[in-house]
Amino acid sequence: MASDYEFSDSDGDYDDDEDMIDGTQDETGESEDDMDMDAFGDDFKVVPKGKRKSFEIEYESLSQSDVEKLMKKDVEDIVGILGVDESTANLLLRHMSWNTERLIEKYMDNPTKVLVAAGVTVEEPPSSPAPIRSHSIPNSATIGTSQSGRRPTRSSSKLLGSKSPSALKSSSTVSPTSTTRLSPRATDLPTPFVCPICFDDAPTLRPLSLTCSHPFCSGCWTAYISSKITDEAEHAIRCMAEGCALVATDTFIHDLLTASDVDPEEAKVNEETWARFQELLIRHFVASNPNLKYCPYPACTNTVSCPAAASKASLTSVVPIVSCGARGIPGAAQASGSGGNLGLPGKEHKFCFGCPIESDHRPVVCAAARLWLKKCRDDSETANWIKSNTKECSMCMSTIEKNGGCNHMTCKKCKHEFCWVCMGPWSEHGTAWYSCNRYDEKAGVEARDAQSRSRASLERYLHYYNRWANHEQSAKLSLDLYAKTEKKMEDMQITSELTWIEVQFMKKAVEEVDKCRMTLKWTYAMAYYLAKGNEKDLFEDNQRDLEKAVEDLSELLESPIEAENIPMLRQKVTDKTVYVQKRNEIVLEDTAAGFLEGRWKWNVAIDGFDDPEKTEF
Amino acid sequence: MDARLRRVNKEIADCKNDKTSNIQIELIDENPFHLKGSFPGPEGTPYQGGHFEVDIVIPESYPFQPVKMKFLTKVYHPNVSSASGAICLDILKDAWSPVLTLKSTLISLQSLLCSPEPNDPQDAEVAKHYTTSKNSFDETATYWTQIYAGGPGAKEKKGKSAASKAEARDEVAIAGLEKAHVDQFEALGFPRSKVIDVLRRLNYRGANVAKLTDDRVVEELLK
Ligand SMILES: [Zn+2]
Ligand SMILES: [Zn+2]
Ligand SMILES: [Zn+2]
Ligand SMILES: [Zn+2]
Ligand SMILES: [Zn+2]
Ligand SMILES: [Zn+2]
Repeated sequence: MASDYEFSDSDGDYDDDEDMIDGTQDETGESEDDMDMDAFGDDFKVVPKGKRKSFEIEYESLSQSDVEKLMKKDVEDIVGILGVDESTANLLLRHMSWNTERLIEKYMDNPTKVLVAAGVTVEEPPSSPAPIRSHSIPNSATIGTSQSGRRPTRSSSKLLGSKSPSALKSSSTVSPTSTTRLSPRATDLPTPFVCPICFDDAPTLRPLSLTCSHPFCSGCWTAYISSKITDEAEHAIRCMAEGCALVATDTFIHDLLTASDVDPEEAKVNEETWARFQELLIRHFVASNPNLKYCPYPACTNTVSCPAAASKASLTSVVPIVSCGARGIPGAAQASGSGGNLGLPGKEHKFCFGCPIESDHRPVVCAAARLWLKKCRDDSETANWIKSNTKECSMCMSTIEKNGGCNHMTCKKCKHEFCWVCMGPWSEHGTAWYSCNRYDEKAGVEARDAQSRSRASLERYLHYYNRWANHEQSAKLSLDLYAKTEKKMEDMQITSELTWIEVQFMKKAVEEVDKCRMTLKWTYAMAYYLAKGNEKDLFEDNQRDLEKAVEDLSELLESPIEAENIPMLRQKVTDKTVYVQKRNEIVLEDTAAGFLEGRWKWNVAIDGFDDPEKTEF
Repeated sequence: MDARLRRVNKEIADCKNDKTSNIQIELIDENPFHLKGSFPGPEGTPYQGGHFEVDIVIPESYPFQPVKMKFLTKVYHPNVSSASGAICLDILKDAWSPVLTLKSTLISLQSLLCSPEPNDPQDAEVAKHYTTSKNSFDETATYWTQIYAGGPGAKEKKGKSAASKAEARDEVAIAGLEKAHVDQFEALGFPRSKVIDVLRRLNYRGANVAKLTDDRVVEELLK
């Protein structure tokens, strides 16, 4: 766990954190690893842990069973208030997207209408025989059926708007306690029973129906329900009869999927289908509740609760980056190399609660981040050349490939040292004049005619995009860096007296560089949209200081290791890591404070913010 | 036996035994899950007298997922793609029920020919034609039935000698083609009837015109 960044509503007590982890995931081994890090990583503490920082949002990670408890509570409330059974309460709540208040209101107003619309009961037929058309299907007289049912009226429930008082009366007499009829004798079945779907007529056949009395064999029901769940991710599963709007209850589905009269292999598949159904229900509940969001990482079933970011309005002042508490992807290879003792954990499940971006886009707010991503997508053609991984040395023109995260390039051929991003000489970057991060706005101001203005606008965009893409690229190369670092840590243990614990400083440094590159990446999106002025200058000062610190640390990590230098290197890396961490927090804190104060002004219209004053940029 | 296979076999047998519905389902080869269905065009419609063939693909999870059907015979109808034969019909999608059969679905297709739903079109061009000029639409649909579905008049027309200029002009309109397009290729020296034939076959209409190069058309004309 990245414990420094983990929110905990406790006073930061260690055991509380562990409990939370254990309650939400079952990846063994990692918490042990984290414990080591926590015990020995004290060099790096800047702020005491357990305290939420200004750029962190309050949230809670929920396991699948936690969410189930929330659902159960809503169901129990409805059972108590409306006097229906649990199955019915479930169907009603799902139909109303778990809006309890609206459900109660609608139900009080017209219970039949709600029960029919939710598929709990069949519509009261207008004094005609029950619709058992399906019985005639196996025979040849299907023309009438199919023609009248060619566009089956799923909306038939809507017709109930003008229902008679008798229909209302009948609904109150409907007893939703027995929503399924499992007994073959319960309906007016023709004997012997022939399943209208598989045409099977074996005497051992188990005919089942919902309260609508449309009987089908248990095998067909199971196949149908499985197909709906697996192929269509559908949680409201209607009766198989044509045009019948009754929805199968959980009990009905559960009974089918846990039936014992199937072979073990099928039983296993059924069990998985039932689990998938449970997940669909939870996903629907979570999607219906603005305070909750399902973890977007593959195969993860955790949910995050973050009421502070539930409203759209809140997203102009906070960047709600949350984590579900789990790490890695089950079954996927983790970042650590083959059996090395570095034991780097899988990627933390960090995502934005406020928008679909599945990573940490701090410090920039959701609307601006998405605007930027859209621009990058739209302009990717023009900007493509920048992303390329090779460049030419500006001195000798030989091709140079970037293979690590560091921007300090040295040409192998002519030894020319330059900056990968701006291609300027590196010597200038090491001085107080370092200004690789700042776009020279003068060129844009001087542009007079439309053509050079549009060129200037493209150049301006490319300035930011270039740096954005570079940090993204470097972050992608971090896997290499991890592997290289792991190798170095092994070497260090061999060439020095240091123990495994004592070489962990390398790992911590790599993680910090990775995290800061993420911040830096998004600061360029932010700066691109920031209106010119003092505030932007200060923002870019902080950005520059962080960038400089990160590049220095990157370079340290790539420097060769000699046995006699190791203690010094350790000191330098540790110090630099603390410094980098501090610079990162300064950027994040100041930006977050700026959003709360409404200090940041944009140069374009951004969703949720005041339109910018007309300025040239 | 595999439940899907048992059901499909039963459906095919039932359909064979049923002499009243006029619906036919036949095997194409030994694959029982790729079939061909056919039915006569409904009486009192522009499709009357035609014989319409439908490609039937039975998915793995049939009958719990809907059967896949498309017209093999070209049909001029708002809910059928004039180019691909794809069909827009609710029971082939979310309104499917496992109690529906291949036969009942084919009957639904037959009844779709009786009652087009231009507000839920598969072919926007055809739907526009249907809503703006019903008479002209009927003419084209009848013509397509003759040409593609073996409708009445098709055979006697073939026996006739060279068609008159006036008749040919009508032919352009009811084939759903543009006079300017026919004139353009006729001017290259090809017989008018051949131009109409080729353009119709290439579906030289609407958005398709832009997709087909002149070279491609000439290539077909030279065949
Ligand atoms: Zn059955
Ligand atoms: Zn039913
Ligand atoms: Zn997760
Ligand atoms: Zn966001
Ligand atoms: Zn060079
Ligand atoms: Zn530079």
